[in-house]
Amino acid sequence: MDKKMKALIAGSTAVMCLALAGGVSAKTIKIGITQNNVGVDSYQTTYEKAFIAAAKADPNVSTVVLDAGGDVARQIAQIQDLIQQHVDAIIVWPTNGKAVVPAVKKAHDAGIPVVITNSNIAKQGMPYIAAFSGPNNIKQGEEAADLMCKALNGKGQIVQISGKPGYTTAIQREKGFEVQLAKKCPGVKIMATQPGDWNREKSQRVMEDFLVKYPKIDGVYAADDNMGVGALNAALAAHRAKDIKFVGATNFAVGYEAMAKGEYYGSVYQSPVEDAKNALKTAVEVVEGKKVPKMNYFPTPPIDQQNMKNFSKPVF
Amino acid sequence: MSDNPLKSAMQWLARNPIWSFILLIFIFFSIANPYFFAIQNFKNILVQTSTIGLIALGMTLVMINGNIDLSVGAVVALAASLCVDIQDWHIFAGWGDWAILPAVLAALAAGTLLGALNGLIVWKTGVDSFIVTLGAMLGVRGLVFVYTKEQSFFASNFAFSDFGSSNIGPLPTLAVLFILCTIVVHFLLSHTVHGRNIYAVGGNRAAAVNAGIRVGPHMLVNFMIVGFFAALAGITLSSQMGAATPNLGTNYELWVITSVVLGGTKLNGGAGDIIGTFGGVLAIGILRNGMNLMQVPAFYVLVILGAILIAVLFLDKQLNRKGKEELRL
Amino acid sequence: MAETHTTASLAPAATERPRGGQGENAMAETRLKQIGGLLARQGIFVAFALFMIGFAIFSDRFLSVENIMSVLRAAAIIGVMALGVTVVVIGGNLDLSVGSMLSFSTVMVVDLHDKIGPGAAIGVTLVATLGLGAVNGLLVGVAKLNSLIVTLGMLSAIQGLTLIYSGGKNVDIANQDTTWFKIFGRGYIADIPTPIVIFALAAVVLHVVMAYTPFGRRVYATGGNQTAAVFSGIRRNRVVFATYLISATCVAISAIILGSRVMGSQNNVGQGYELQALAAVILGGTSLLGGAGTIWKTVIGVLILGFIQNGLLLLGFEYYVQWLVTWAVIILAVWLDIAAKRGRLWSPIA
Repeated sequence: MDKKMKALIAGSTAVMCLALAGGVSAKTIKIGITQNNVGVDSYQTTYEKAFIAAAKADPNVSTVVLDAGGDVARQIAQIQDLIQQHVDAIIVWPTNGKAVVPAVKKAHDAGIPVVITNSNIAKQGMPYIAAFSGPNNIKQGEEAADLMCKALNGKGQIVQISGKPGYTTAIQREKGFEVQLAKKCPGVKIMATQPGDWNREKSQRVMEDFLVKYPKIDGVYAADDNMGVGALNAALAAHRAKDIKFVGATNFAVGYEAMAKGEYYGSVYQSPVEDAKNALKTAVEVVEGKKVPKMNYFPTPPIDQQNMKNFSKPVF
Repeated sequence: MSDNPLKSAMQWLARNPIWSFILLIFIFFSIANPYFFAIQNFKNILVQTSTIGLIALGMTLVMINGNIDLSVGAVVALAASLCVDIQDWHIFAGWGDWAILPAVLAALAAGTLLGALNGLIVWKTGVDSFIVTLGAMLGVRGLVFVYTKEQSFFASNFAFSDFGSSNIGPLPTLAVLFILCTIVVHFLLSHTVHGRNIYAVGGNRAAAVNAGIRVGPHMLVNFMIVGFFAALAGITLSSQMGAATPNLGTNYELWVITSVVLGGTKLNGGAGDIIGTFGGVLAIGILRNGMNLMQVPAFYVLVILGAILIAVLFLDKQLNRKGKEELRL
Repeated sequence: MAETHTTASLAPAATERPRGGQGENAMAETRLKQIGGLLARQGIFVAFALFMIGFAIFSDRFLSVENIMSVLRAAAIIGVMALGVTVVVIGGNLDLSVGSMLSFSTVMVVDLHDKIGPGAAIGVTLVATLGLGAVNGLLVGVAKLNSLIVTLGMLSAIQGLTLIYSGGKNVDIANQDTTWFKIFGRGYIADIPTPIVIFALAAVVLHVVMAYTPFGRRVYATGGNQTAAVFSGIRRNRVVFATYLISATCVAISAIILGSRVMGSQNNVGQGYELQALAAVILGGTSLLGGAGTIWKTVIGVLILGFIQNGLLLLGFEYYVQWLVTWAVIILAVWLDIAAKRGRLWSPIA
């Protein structure tokens, strides 16, 4: 009942606004979104909150917010369900860039524009999407490689803690980092890579083993700060944190604080609020028939102890 | 006898609480959401449930046997990866759409073989199937990553994903496949010697041995069947997506077991049937679909699913109270 | 099997006495049989020793004090949980809800730490976790519902509760260096990391409870033969209820160690732990049918899992190779254990 009332109010407000503006179309835009895995980390949760807030702020927009729980098959089912509801546009945060292609094609064939958010669809799917909106994960990996190179003055031995195996974001951040490091910074060698599954405790355990295995570690690259801080925890406990530079690829609040304390070297700044707003804006513009560029990257600048005062602390 | 069909229908529902439950949620969602009651949506539900459903068919046999298979989720991923990758191999380049055939066969063979491996270990070592397949759950996932090198595969031949979204008459092909398999396994379980033996072995193994059933090979066959169906589910799932990812099928074992038990199969073996399993699968499919359409927040979906699972079990208990005292695991 | 025999045949050398006579020989023989029998009954211990030796050969750092302490410290979290699960399983039931219960309790204790202080946070978390355990206990013990499905349902429901509680956000402790809460996960007691001390204490307490108290005997009786247990006057309801409370208590303790170790928590931090804990229990030879099993063998199961992960990583294997090897080791260890128990390698299944 409550929802219906809200929709009614939103609807009538929209009609009024349009009437005042001498509106062309009096219809609210209905946008469906299927997200990757809300609740697995704060980034995705903050994204969802920001998305809902942004949609609420726009009286012409109503939304259907779904979550795939990290399961590709469920995401495909959700895309089908959204097609079934005849939404005006579908935003997809792919659980996997390749696997969602046929489902996205189906939406496209049904005449519903698809906007991909956060991590991009595989290139086979590009013809079927209206636009991509999000950060450039490969670029983030490269930024992190540059930070690591600077931190170690181009020379040293490091270990890498990657994300959950098989997920696009994890693969791209790993690849971006490794390629850029080999190219720009041949003096820094990656001794070992193990997955930390986006989990701080897992990352801490992996780092404990690394600390036993390698008597000398100069740097740790973690695919996000959550894992980076796990590695830092392990190094602090072994009294070796002072000798190690920690670099992440998405700045979390804990990473920001550790940076302020001087324990953490740097990371890449990526705001889920920007990410969400950007996605909604792109989708609305697509539905309204405006021309939008196919790739809408929002900036993800490097952040380190020197320039951190220019950034506000991440909310996640 | 025929004077009261309504009464006998009610009695049947009372004996099979899962179907009363399906009726209940069906009516509920039809009233509560305008998009639910639509032919297209029913087709969606059938296709969406077919993955878990196919595996559940095989799992029912294994569980009536008194065993369990936790490795099915990983087998789904392996079969999907093999199937999508092999059809793009160069040696099949000249085969056209027929390249899909060796890919499908390889995937089914892999699933059946892994099932055989599980069964053989359970038979020969006497290690509990829970631990054997718990190990395999991790190990087979390892095989997936060895094979895929963390890559996802994409079927460049759209014929494969077209198959996944094709129709036979008014019904989606995958739904037809699922229903056909359901009928075949139902027949296997209720009308064949092997089917009778499944109950015998699960109910009282010593008696089954005395009756001359070779328990080891018998269990092996059932593990091969569940492996086969897990692979088949992997193939149909990947044809829905036209792609395969190494993380496919994570946690499927839990949903499959949940469906099977919801359908009335007892974990200690000896009891259960395919009609019930079909109901269990359908119940979870309808719940998920309905809650999606109603936009229940993801966090609450978890709580609701958990609560319903326990509620159905409770209902079952109340309705069948006069029956045998339920055994523990 | 072969290894068991070699070890046993070495034994008489140690027990030989200077003056030999017929009586002495007979005694030595009995002794030999005893040792052989003991080793046969402790197959899992032999398995554990075997692969520890294996890893030590290939990695010179594997048996360093630093490494052992580090592995034990991390393993204590799963370890304490597994102890509680052992009690539930001996009582004839399962508890698959422990994984998401761990997520719930860790998120809660970390979240409340900054709001109401560490002491109160621990108290509230303990009560809330016991509440969840009581729900399990009521549904399984009193309503007599199937434990696997009840705890699977709870696994899902508690995960949802955790996300609702936290709003899906990570929680962190702000003043990590000054809070006394850090003692549980990061502190030391007489040079031994606190988690190890807690794990050892919990193991000893539960071992005593299970092996030497009337309550322990009731749990075995309830799990072993329920009908007999009811007739002999044991109130099955209460015993099962109590086992779930014990399990929940163990989860709360694990959560405190985990929260203190990480000084933060994600909402899915315990995901998959239920199967790891259960694997440790089964590795320890506790039968899923209930009525049999021992606490200290679960400890061995926990150690096996912890040291496999660590050893394979030290050897530098890729993660997927680690999974493959773990597959083989789990099955081999349990196989060796039951083969030793039944006295033959292959199962009697026809």
